[in-house]
Amino acid sequence: MTDKNIIVNAGGFEFLFTESEIAAIDVLNNKAEDFCILSEQKTLTGEILSVKVKVYNVEIDGERFQVQIKNELDQILDNMGLNKPKVSKIKSIKAPMPGLVIEINVEEGQTVAENDKILILEAMKMENVIKIPHEAVVKKINIVKGQAVDKGQVLIELE
Amino acid sequence: MKKILVANRGEIALRIMRTIKKMGIKTVAVYSEPDVKALHVRFADEAVCLGEAASSKSYLDMDKIIQFAKELGVDGIHPGYGFLSENAIFAEKVTKAGITFIGPEPDSITLMGSKLAAKDCVKKYDIPMVPGTDTAITDIREAQKIAAGIGFPILIKASAGGGGKGMRVVEKAEDFVEQMDRAISEAKSAFGDGSVFIEKYVGSPRHIEIQVLGDKHGNIVHLFERECSIQRRHQKVIEEAPSGILTPEIRQKIGEAAVKVAKSCNYVGAGTVEFLLDENLNFYFLEMNTRLQVEHPVTEYITGIDLVEEQIKIARGEKLSFSQEDLKIKGHAVELRVYAEDPLNDFLPSIGQITKYQRPEGEGVRLDDAYEEGMEIPIYYDPMIAKLVTYGKDRTEAIQKMKEAIKSYKIEGFATTLPFGLFVMDHDAFRSAQFDTHFVKNYFSKEQAQDWQKAKARNAALLALAHWNTNQSKLKVSEIENSNWKKR
Repeated sequence: MTDKNIIVNAGGFEFLFTESEIAAIDVLNNKAEDFCILSEQKTLTGEILSVKVKVYNVEIDGERFQVQIKNELDQILDNMGLNKPKVSKIKSIKAPMPGLVIEINVEEGQTVAENDKILILEAMKMENVIKIPHEAVVKKINIVKGQAVDKGQVLIELE
Repeated sequence: MKKILVANRGEIALRIMRTIKKMGIKTVAVYSEPDVKALHVRFADEAVCLGEAASSKSYLDMDKIIQFAKELGVDGIHPGYGFLSENAIFAEKVTKAGITFIGPEPDSITLMGSKLAAKDCVKKYDIPMVPGTDTAITDIREAQKIAAGIGFPILIKASAGGGGKGMRVVEKAEDFVEQMDRAISEAKSAFGDGSVFIEKYVGSPRHIEIQVLGDKHGNIVHLFERECSIQRRHQKVIEEAPSGILTPEIRQKIGEAAVKVAKSCNYVGAGTVEFLLDENLNFYFLEMNTRLQVEHPVTEYITGIDLVEEQIKIARGEKLSFSQEDLKIKGHAVELRVYAEDPLNDFLPSIGQITKYQRPEGEGVRLDDAYEEGMEIPIYYDPMIAKLVTYGKDRTEAIQKMKEAIKSYKIEGFATTLPFGLFVMDHDAFRSAQFDTHFVKNYFSKEQAQDWQKAKARNAALLALAHWNTNQSKLKVSEIENSNWKKR
């Protein structure tokens, strides 16, 4: 039997494990609230907060991680585009806080990719980089550099 | 004093009011419009709204604060830290209004507020300062003589420069002339002024500060040191007392120097004298802060003295109830400033609503905070949520308690410096007390932080995988029922 690959997305990072690697992990305590394993000679303890299909919420040292496990079937479905969740797209970028626009990094008509820097908003002497959650086209820029904006004000309209 | 107004907000306003109440004195809170539901308002006996969110229209409005204080029959004003705490004009106005300012004399605030004047003032007391030139120079031969006198490495600073521009570190004497030439020409082209300062370069600086208390009868004592070298953006984030590396001899010397600095400006109240400590444990005077510090709880833990209570007693004209000889260090305390900041993203502010809030508890755990679940972190003020302080019989125990406290302190809704605190507590450089102000630069660069986060995420993945693998058969039924495939 061939060793199948399992892809795991945890806290935004992607890891690849083989089934035999996973089988080599010893479970020392199978209680969700005090789940303990032995892996690579190290013990690890955490809390399994929730399990929904193959999406886990795990807490280690007070920090929470979302973990998504993808077996071979999931990977095939992924490649076919069937498992892709529908992302609701935003139509505009609003100011998350009142502040001062100190830099605009896009132009009208420009196509921007996920996580692209859109602008920098200064609040309480700290610079906050406003990024875009998904690909979009900049339709209209409603602000200029140096402008003071209110919370919720539409800064940039998207297509 | 029967009624004290606290001219501040958030955790420090609450912390000060707790002591005021304990002393049987009435409390008055001030607040800005968005702070109406804040905990410091709820805790106080009386509260007045100062105005709009912007600090300039609320917490910094001196005249309004004093006017309200007069109307409410307040006889003392505590400024906390930040806002008006180091504003000599405010201190003066308060005094003129017939109200006691709980802090130093306006003259001391003004004097210590100017770095040059402060250095000038303490000079005659033989306080060590970073060796260097007092005046700008352009003559290379003269500069060479001075540099040799100071000893290498030295730092050449353009007198017109700032923010790191026009600075050069010279490691050895042979390189001096060439480096000086380049520094002068750089300074000329960049600032149109070729004059430079020369001072000793401290390559591995630690930030050590001494807490002092002075009463109105000329008594001044020090309450030992605080080590504040773990910083980000040149701002402290983790502090401890005592320092992990000071010897009793150096502690005594640095403490005496701090007392002299306080004496040089006839200091009254609680103040802090900051020093730079080099790798050979030489210390140099930096500046004096004429207020209560954020990190004061670590000193309170190791000395058993409530600094706010002392401030109030001193303001009432009482003599210090202890002498230098009475003061002893007992145990060790560590403080983590919990900021609404993302350590993985250069510690940029990460604000929002607190969706979950669970305080850590236990013996030797102190949390100075002012938030509850559901509250929003206002963007108008400092993003500090709380000060988490732990105390143990020794440094190891204090660190261990801090680790436990961080793990059980739940704040959800945005990123905080809590995970960074755990990173530091687990780091060998911190555990062995061998670190300096470059800690974040050396060990927590963006890349290093990412690697660290990835290692934690991998652990989470391993846990989930093991759980999935072990409990797969049990989960199968629900898995099929919930499958996306079936829904389509």
